Amino acid sequence: MTPKIVCENISKFFIQKGKQRVHVLEDISLEVMNNEFLVILGPGQSGKSTLLRIIAGLETPTQGRVLKDGKEITGPGQDRGLVFQSYMLFFWRTVMGNVEIGLKLRGVEKKERRKIAQHYINLVGLEGFEKHFPHQLSGGMKQRVGIARAYANNPEIMLLDEPFGQLDAQTRMFMEKETERIWQTEKKTVIFVTNNIDEAIYLGDRIVTLKGKLPGRMDAIYDVPLPRPREHTDLEFVELRQMITDKSELVL
Amino acid sequence: MSNTIADEIVHHVKERQPLTIWSVLGNEYFLYCVSFISFLLIWHFIAAAGLLGLATPEATIKEMIRLMSVKLAGKNLFGHIWASSRRILIGFAIGAATGLPLGLFMALNRYVNAIVKPVFDLFKPMPPIAWISISILWFGIGEPSKVFIIVIGSFVPCVLNAYAGIRIIDPELYDVIRVLGGNRRQEIFYVSFPAALPALFAGIQISMSVAWTCVLAAELVSSRSGLGWIIIRGMKLTKPELVLGGMAVIAIVAWIFSAATSGIEKLLCPWKRGIKEL
Repeated sequence: MTPKIVCENISKFFIQKGKQRVHVLEDISLEVMNNEFLVILGPGQSGKSTLLRIIAGLETPTQGRVLKDGKEITGPGQDRGLVFQSYMLFFWRTVMGNVEIGLKLRGVEKKERRKIAQHYINLVGLEGFEKHFPHQLSGGMKQRVGIARAYANNPEIMLLDEPFGQLDAQTRMFMEKETERIWQTEKKTVIFVTNNIDEAIYLGDRIVTLKGKLPGRMDAIYDVPLPRPREHTDLEFVELRQMITDKSELVL
Repeated sequence: MSNTIADEIVHHVKERQPLTIWSVLGNEYFLYCVSFISFLLIWHFIAAAGLLGLATPEATIKEMIRLMSVKLAGKNLFGHIWASSRRILIGFAIGAATGLPLGLFMALNRYVNAIVKPVFDLFKPMPPIAWISISILWFGIGEPSKVFIIVIGSFVPCVLNAYAGIRIIDPELYDVIRVLGGNRRQEIFYVSFPAALPALFAGIQISMSVAWTCVLAAELVSSRSGLGWIIIRGMKLTKPELVLGGMAVIAIVAWIFSAATSGIEKLLCPWKRGIKEL
């Protein structure tokens, strides 16, 4: 099977305040299979968000390239959906207005896009909240809108950038369950960025760890062969968690 | 499905409280009345004691009612209100219709910004009333010179707020459009404009109050009509009830203008309606 996404030796420098070069990513190479749930795990300041933005096409790598189905990615596109850490909902649009925006941009006729948007609103469990505005929703519900918005645009690849970083522990675990349920319902290739080991093991088919402190470097790749749905208290879960903690520099 | 997210929803339940003396005394609207009535009472006692050269509220209201039927310089009270309002509406409309688009263009295009900003920054801190002499020199003492001052006065806050409204938008919101496959034009229409709308209204509100300052200044300098002129008239005739009445009417009319703007804002920005209750 050919991989869906290939990152070839990606390095990234940012130019800050005119002159200062900040080295963010160093020689990242990875492959993501079709319909795989890949988790990129790294502490803060390890360049993981930048890596995701490069795959999304919002940033260009200084060196190396990203291939999707063998073709180089040159900019953002409808084939990749991004879920933002700070939700980035359009506060002037209702839940429905937010979810249907991608379809609207592509000129999908109103009746059709309402139908599709409604399907994804239902999928993320927001039925009955179509007319609410983002400020009327809790954090977990806001991110549901973010996920529905990305899904409704029917991307081949979902990119999630620490989507539950702002949620409290309970809501976070609950949203992880929901993410798995949604992914099982409509399988897509997923790249999920997080700094939380439990979240990584709970969700990932594979986990790529990045070394802490800039520039971000590849550390290790772990397969997670556990059956789904997983339990945080399973012995294998705990063992894997221990192994990753021991091997990586994650201090959480 | 919806019961699984019930734990995430915050319900606002307002409990019905029994009517006690404290719940009445602590009621917001009751306190508004207390505030307003004490204001009138203090005013009344100061005026009745002959202090500060004030007319009593009663005399002021009577004078204003008298002016509704009696003509002053060919116009009754409503005629004068309309004279001032008309100047404001024309001047403000021109100022906003040029200022808001200019501010938006400056924020969206750095070339426009680079060309306009230095000159604009030079004129920005200048009080609009400083233009009065030039205005009379250019347009005479008729209507156009007064309208011109208002145009200048309302133009500046419109430009500033439209500019700031675009600039404070989180750049990641544009990324949303880009990731969904949108182009630059769609970024502007689907993010810049709606996100900046509340700031545009803030600009309009400020412009409105500046416009009132300007129209009064213009009417105080040269005019035969308008609420500013009524105040001057009262001063010349030493009729404090006319001066105070003019001031009160200005306050009321300006408040109506501002409330109407808020009403339009609520209509155009439905997402801002519910925020107060949260």
